[in-house]
Amino acid sequence: MNPGGILTSLMDGLLIGVVYGIAAMGLTLIWGVMRVINLAHGAIISLGMFGVYLIFTNFGIHPYLALLLVALAGLLFGMLIYYITIARVINAPYLSTLLATFAINMIFIGLGTAVFTTTPRDAGFSLGNVSLGPVTLQGTRLVAALVTLLVTGGLYFFLYRTRPGKFVRAVANNRAAAELMGIPSARILALSFGIGTMLAAIAGGLIATFFSFNILSGDIYQQKSFIIGVLGGLGNPVGALLGGLILGALEGLLPLVMPNTWVPVIEFVLFIVILLVRPSGLLGGKSE
Amino acid sequence: MSILEIKNVTSGYGEVQILWGMNISPEEGKLTCLVGGNGVGKTTLLRTIMGLNRTWQGSITFGGQDITHSPAYAKADLGLVLVPEGRQLFTDMTVQENLEIGATNQRAHGKYQQNLERVFALFPRLKERAVQKAGTLSGGEQQMVAVGRGIMADPRLLMIDELSLGLAPVLTLQLFETLRQLRKEGLTIVLVEQNVQMALAVGDYAYVIAEGKSEMEGPAHKLMNDSHVRETYLGL
Repeated sequence: MNPGGILTSLMDGLLIGVVYGIAAMGLTLIWGVMRVINLAHGAIISLGMFGVYLIFTNFGIHPYLALLLVALAGLLFGMLIYYITIARVINAPYLSTLLATFAINMIFIGLGTAVFTTTPRDAGFSLGNVSLGPVTLQGTRLVAALVTLLVTGGLYFFLYRTRPGKFVRAVANNRAAAELMGIPSARILALSFGIGTMLAAIAGGLIATFFSFNILSGDIYQQKSFIIGVLGGLGNPVGALLGGLILGALEGLLPLVMPNTWVPVIEFVLFIVILLVRPSGLLGGKSE
Repeated sequence: MSILEIKNVTSGYGEVQILWGMNISPEEGKLTCLVGGNGVGKTTLLRTIMGLNRTWQGSITFGGQDITHSPAYAKADLGLVLVPEGRQLFTDMTVQENLEIGATNQRAHGKYQQNLERVFALFPRLKERAVQKAGTLSGGEQQMVAVGRGIMADPRLLMIDELSLGLAPVLTLQLFETLRQLRKEGLTIVLVEQNVQMALAVGDYAYVIAEGKSEMEGPAHKLMNDSHVRETYLGL
């Protein structure tokens, strides 16, 4: 095995890992703010894929411009989902919110299957390859990683430097106290769910620029999001990015030494080991 | 003139009724104490006034406005502010951010700088700790943040639930001194406090709460010297 090949596999893995990271960030943000395990995450990722794909193939709008529209739609759609369903069960035990988001997931998957069938779609979009010494990388993956880093930076700026962002952190930290200080927590929860959904939609949209997909594809990324969330610590956005990189590296390197089908097995063994050994994640973070 | 009027308020948690027709009306510019044993409904009353607990029956008026069923977050805009029991800080956020969030409401937002200076003058320690996470502070410092956050909200009426609970005597004295100073500056305060002696010593007026009702009321020093009140309700 040549070192150039190993390096290319590793880089490929890391680039895709960053995108996993942003999907996980959405899941982990929603958990961190409102203690809801969002099982509709995967379906939203799929819808993000279809969003970019359909806008690109039907209207010829550039995929990255389409991504912007998909992100905005994701934000609004997430807030709508919050008001229609989550808000009604937000104070109920975890199982109620879990089942509510599971129901949303099934509705989207069902509708998506009916409308789009499960035939794989491919945007057929390419930015060519970039060669750095012995390493050759796909342009679309490189851009996807850059977009993700940009979005992560934006999320941090929002949470730590803006008023609504600080409200999100305050509500996450102590909802009753936030109410007492005059923060309408229901609106902040809706916004947070919207942002979580937006991150999922962005992840899906980016993935659609380099992988073929169908309405069921998002589910795989939801599973990865759980592994990443546990790796990095649920409720911790930087941890999500780090977890994504670790998972990406594994996915780049493991296939070099074992059949591809073993990769998820290793990933979920890792998931259980982390849960047993370090349940609060590698970076600490919130756990309950 | 009373700034807050609680009339025949009943409330509780789920099926359990805690308040059985509460009547209190603190006066503007005064420090009003609510005293009474554990579990008589003092905290529940404050939570109900703020809207964290639903009012079952009765009415709550603040500054002439009916606020019986208005949501908790709307109360801060009116100038009704609670420093809750157990501090309830934003422990993952810095001291400065806690104070910032305190100034969220419409009235306080424009007075942020002015009130921040006021808080730092009252608690110089907080200025030193400004960039530290609130959860890493000592109990006394956390209580300072809780009171400071309340002041940042620019209250017309500041309600404090257990100022000295779990604090060392030195800190308790210091916080009561701060309270006295705030009272002197003209702030209207309602105080729930387990240290009855100290509360009645700084208070203008007091209500004795028992079994979810206001059993007795009067000037603070009078209640403190009433042997019947001392024995029956205050365990002194």
